[in-house]
Amino acid sequence: MFNNKIEQVKHLPLKIGEVARYVIVPGDPNRVEIIASVMDSYTLQGRNREFNAARGTYKGTDVSVVSTGIGCPSTAIAVEELAHVGAEVFIRIGTSGSVDNSVEKGDIFIATGAVRDDGTSKQYIPIEFPAVADFKLVANLIKASKDLNIDTKVGICQSKDSFFGEVEPERMPVAPYLDYKWKAWQKGGVGASEMEAATLFTLAQIKKLKASAVLAVEVSDEETVKKMTQIVLECIHIMEMERLNEK
Amino acid sequence: MKNDGVADAIGGLLDTYNDEKEAMQYHVQLKNGDVSDFVILPGDPGRVEFIAEHFDSATLVADNREYKTMTGKYKGRSVSVTSTGIGCPSTAIAVEELANVGAKTFVRMGTSGAMQDFTRVGDKVIATGAVRYEGTSVQYMPIEFPAVASHDMVAALVNSAADAKLNYHTGIVQSKDSFYGQHNPEGMPIAAELLQKWEAWVKGGVLCSEMEAATLFVVGSYRKLRTGAVLLVAGDQAKGESLTKEEYKQNMTESINMILEASLEIEEESSNG
Repeated sequence: MFNNKIEQVKHLPLKIGEVARYVIVPGDPNRVEIIASVMDSYTLQGRNREFNAARGTYKGTDVSVVSTGIGCPSTAIAVEELAHVGAEVFIRIGTSGSVDNSVEKGDIFIATGAVRDDGTSKQYIPIEFPAVADFKLVANLIKASKDLNIDTKVGICQSKDSFFGEVEPERMPVAPYLDYKWKAWQKGGVGASEMEAATLFTLAQIKKLKASAVLAVEVSDEETVKKMTQIVLECIHIMEMERLNEK
Repeated sequence: MKNDGVADAIGGLLDTYNDEKEAMQYHVQLKNGDVSDFVILPGDPGRVEFIAEHFDSATLVADNREYKTMTGKYKGRSVSVTSTGIGCPSTAIAVEELANVGAKTFVRMGTSGAMQDFTRVGDKVIATGAVRYEGTSVQYMPIEFPAVASHDMVAALVNSAADAKLNYHTGIVQSKDSFYGQHNPEGMPIAAELLQKWEAWVKGGVLCSEMEAATLFVVGSYRKLRTGAVLLVAGDQAKGESLTKEEYKQNMTESINMILEASLEIEEESSNG
């Protein structure tokens, strides 16, 4: 698929070797610098389309931040190209809406799996296949949040393609279909609704990468984004220490 | 009114369902107080007694159709074992009815076929999720919903497997409905679909193939239960390998002890509430 002689990938402003093993993947390009600013140091690497890239260090570990844009189609491009230039561990930081009554506004939600209500992951593997986050990564996110005394909830999220299909389902031509499925997700215990995790998890599983997601429920202020970043960076630190110990 | 007999029969079934706390459950033949909050689910009723031999004490509480249940204690913790029979349809019945009488945590213990080079016979697979290539879970939740195990149960199983120094993997397993569709796909009318999907699961990194986990996980999510699964890799189609009878027994004991030790990490809840 990729011509290895061409080091510059097609969409991301990155060449082979210009990315860290650990990548934080927000949706919003404008959130990249906010996230990077929580690290000990960082540099901005440039931006192309919705893909904005930064790289820095946290407690001595090399970490990248690259935005995916909204939705699974651009997320799949980002993951494919990031893997090509050297990324191995992907942690999404994003915002979400609440689905069932187990989560509420202001919660920080760690996803163990995702409803594949997206079109992209189906162009990789049949729909029966579950979109599951990496177990070890989820365990370390939980550990990091406990170490930092930040409350989190753990569970399944829903990944949709149509934002307005969620917020204004009644005006859609397929309103009954959207309503019927939404009620099923509520009964099934889905906590948060967002737009990228299903493809991120599915693609990571296929490409033997590790992925997970940390989502803020119905808030998107800078303080919350920074709080999620702290959890993620601490998780990356734990994982890097484990990796070095295993060596 | 016509069909009074049918209406009565259906009404009777609904009463059974509605009086869930009091009633004898229709298929598993269990009532409140018969089972622990923690239940081990093998497929084979013939394996129930062998599993219960690893408890410190156990008594037979029910034996109906493919559902055989024994309840006892392990290191002071109450535990039960109920067989589900083969396949997701009978598993869904077992899980629903056990939940009706107070079971809260369910760990499937079964055998499976290897799907990757590195999943070798004798390895234990701790499922984090399952491919929903079965017909039961879609009668609960649309197919896009992921069949995932509970994180805390997976974590407890990983800890007990690591403590016992077992060869284990964590990851996705495949749940199918047709046993012979896996073992002889070429002979089936839908051979092309079976072969193509199998190849997709292998490329997707699916570790092993079995027949019950997907429905256990989906019904568990819906009924707010804690679920997990430990699958012993008992055979490898591609390599033509399988466990000898002796190895099989030894490996089963390892799986059972692993689940029992993990049960101690799960706080005991009243199964009467």
